[in-house]
Amino acid sequence: MPDTRRITGPEETQSPFAFCPQFLAQSAEAFSDGKRRDGRKAEADHRPVFLKAGLISQAKGSAFAELDKTKVVCAVYGPHEVARREDFSMQGQISCEVKFAPFSCRVRRQHVQDGREKDLSTQLLEALEPAVRLDSFPKSQVDVFVTVLENDGSALSAAITCASLALADAGIEMYDLVVACTARIHGTSILVDPSFSEENLKTVSGEKPGGQVTLGFMPSLRQVSALCYHGDTDLDVLSQATQRCQDTCHKLYQVVQDTLVKSVEQRMNNS
Amino acid sequence: MEVDIRLPAPRGRLAAKEDDEITLVTPGDVITSDTGFMRGHGTVMEDDSLKSTVAGVVERVNKLISVRPLKARYTGEIGDVIVGRVIEVGSRRWKVDVHAKLDAVLMLSSVNLPGGELRRRSEEDERMMRKYLQEGDVISAEVQNVMSDGTLSLHTRSLKYGKLGQGVLVPVPPSLVKRRKTHFHTLPCGVKIILGNNGYIWLTPTVTESNTGGYEVDLSPVSRGDREEMARLRNCVLALAEQKMLLYDTSIMYAYEESLKFESKVLLKSEVASEIAELAQQRLEHEGYK
Amino acid sequence: MVDVNLSEAEKTFIVHGIQDNFREDGRSNEEYRQMDLETGLMSNTSGSARLRLANTEILVGVKAELEEPKPEKPDVGRLEFFVDCSANAAPEFEGRGGEELATEMMNLLYRAYSASTVLDVSSLCLQSGKLCWVLYVDVLLLECGGNLFDAASIAVKAALFNTKIPSVKVRQEEGEETELEVSDDPYDVRRLDVSAAPTVLTLSKIGHNHIVDASQKEEACCLARLMMAVTASGSVTATVKEGRGSLDPDSITEMMQVGKRVGKAVNEKLLETLKEEEQKGLKRKTVGFLR
Repeated sequence: MPDTRRITGPEETQSPFAFCPQFLAQSAEAFSDGKRRDGRKAEADHRPVFLKAGLISQAKGSAFAELDKTKVVCAVYGPHEVARREDFSMQGQISCEVKFAPFSCRVRRQHVQDGREKDLSTQLLEALEPAVRLDSFPKSQVDVFVTVLENDGSALSAAITCASLALADAGIEMYDLVVACTARIHGTSILVDPSFSEENLKTVSGEKPGGQVTLGFMPSLRQVSALCYHGDTDLDVLSQATQRCQDTCHKLYQVVQDTLVKSVEQRMNNS
Repeated sequence: MEVDIRLPAPRGRLAAKEDDEITLVTPGDVITSDTGFMRGHGTVMEDDSLKSTVAGVVERVNKLISVRPLKARYTGEIGDVIVGRVIEVGSRRWKVDVHAKLDAVLMLSSVNLPGGELRRRSEEDERMMRKYLQEGDVISAEVQNVMSDGTLSLHTRSLKYGKLGQGVLVPVPPSLVKRRKTHFHTLPCGVKIILGNNGYIWLTPTVTESNTGGYEVDLSPVSRGDREEMARLRNCVLALAEQKMLLYDTSIMYAYEESLKFESKVLLKSEVASEIAELAQQRLEHEGYK
Repeated sequence: MVDVNLSEAEKTFIVHGIQDNFREDGRSNEEYRQMDLETGLMSNTSGSARLRLANTEILVGVKAELEEPKPEKPDVGRLEFFVDCSANAAPEFEGRGGEELATEMMNLLYRAYSASTVLDVSSLCLQSGKLCWVLYVDVLLLECGGNLFDAASIAVKAALFNTKIPSVKVRQEEGEETELEVSDDPYDVRRLDVSAAPTVLTLSKIGHNHIVDASQKEEACCLARLMMAVTASGSVTATVKEGRGSLDPDSITEMMQVGKRVGKAVNEKLLETLKEEEQKGLKRKTVGFLR
């Protein structure tokens, strides 16, 4: 049945920019004038991060995360009874859904969840599950919904950090917060928290394309909860990149903690 | 570390023995049009002739004709020794997977309670059921009764039955387990083996054996030596089963002895496995076992 | 995943065995089980392979079709993966039951083949922005006996090795429509260079150790695993962590080292086997599904 309430548009449409040569021309240069494409100075520099907990009043918990232009919002509902329970288990479940808003990327996204969004949802679940005390809500389920409002690179890591903040805001018992960071391997450089244009850097011919790695990290436990990478590179470079992500996660951890403390303080003042 | 990727070779089966008494039939085959016979399992009477409904071997006991299928789910008989896995804890009963059409039932009243004492089952016991046996636990038991729908009712009211501790469960087709007087064997290599009539075979080191109905399970590490023997036996059992050879203490021991010249992991290779099975069969024939 | 429910004691036995570097079936922690591989056994495909790893059986078919390239990548052809967890393999897969596992496998394959160096996709383009080859790689799961991801990726690589794309000449004269000339000589075909294609290696963390090629029982004991796609030269094209547990950074490094080493060995042996099969040429009799 066609969904009459939404504008679906014709099945095969292309953005006009897709045929525009300037748009297609990806650069192979990560640096210009010793600066990164968006003006950051060093490879290990993270974009300014803005986090806020508790902005969707009806959700059990919610959070908003901003990495410069990348903007992500997350809502947590539950725990509630599992609708379709399979077998007996004393553990709770988490369900994750990541969605790009139709206008969030350069190309318009469809309303129906596509393959990439499903993949991101699984990765998000992978990252969160080890951190949440599933045995604290047996036989029930927590729903985590993430909407990417604007995608300017590193959407997955923003989603993970945002979701863990929202879970904490919802008062779900957790062993630790999950902080995530993405790094783009390009030639010999490892760019922390890549922007969209850095994510799509062209490979220098004759060089390994590098790739992109996202690490979900629990800083107090010193445990990795998610690690996903694709590309083509040597093991040492990959290890270096994950190490750099890990260092960045430690720095971000502070920010996430501060945000949570602030939101608790605010709530105490209001009541 | 060695990786073995090979091209498939049409794998041979051991040649079946020539035996002219065996009649093989397929569904719909007329077994006899003589009306003087009685209809057994796997047959149907149609147009005055007895027809087979399964593919298998015709068996005749006096006037009764039945067809034993080559492959079948296990159908229990009273007194069978079985090895099963608990899959559900219900009210006053456990459901046990025994490789049969229907899950078997183990009533709370047909188990020995810890300490082996016989007493009325209190509500306390009912609440404690998951403490005794929980989902996933492996037990050995005896078939107490076969209900009209084929459900097996089990009991563990003997010290030799009960919860099983550390070990390996090897599933094989049930028809390969030979019915014998005893299905519990302690093999000379220090491994205890339970050949469940239902085709579940349990291997366990003798040291962890406890005779308290097994509610307390010994979780201390098994020694390397025992482990090696168990791995070897496991692979031998699978090798025999792959070649559709009957499993009982002698056949398994022969296979075990033949396998000693190989490292136990080598037995995973298909050609070694069939060689072991063949050697074991030759020896069985030589010693006059059928 | 098809779950096996194990008792505490059985799990303990398996975990202790792995600590001892001696597994239930006698293998050490870094050992693979025997694999049977055959390619070119499906007549309606451009390339196919069947892989049997203990009880796991995977069938892969590759079909090459002509299509328009994506506007954002006008100069390359592409690979499309599809995984079907057939209910033949396990009754749990019936209906939508196998979808989750299938998506996971599909995503891993896309990830592993995402880099441009893995397979020369630009050679699949016939006419920029107009026409290119799309290779549809369909993975069918026939039986599950543990370690599905590794088996699937090995079968995919074998099927791509076996793939034969018919030669096509594109002719375009001024003001006229494009004309395609497909060679009807069955030997006038193009092969793919799969020497840089990866295979997946799953490392399951059980207790404090990690193992390769986990059996179904071992998978039931495993809380977290690391799947990595490794090429013959030892470079890594994808990693994904899976499972409810987490891993500490040091053991990840260690696991990746093992993964690289074993992955290289798997790739080398695979190529060797494929070449051996090819040398047998047309005289080779297909064994197919007869066992």
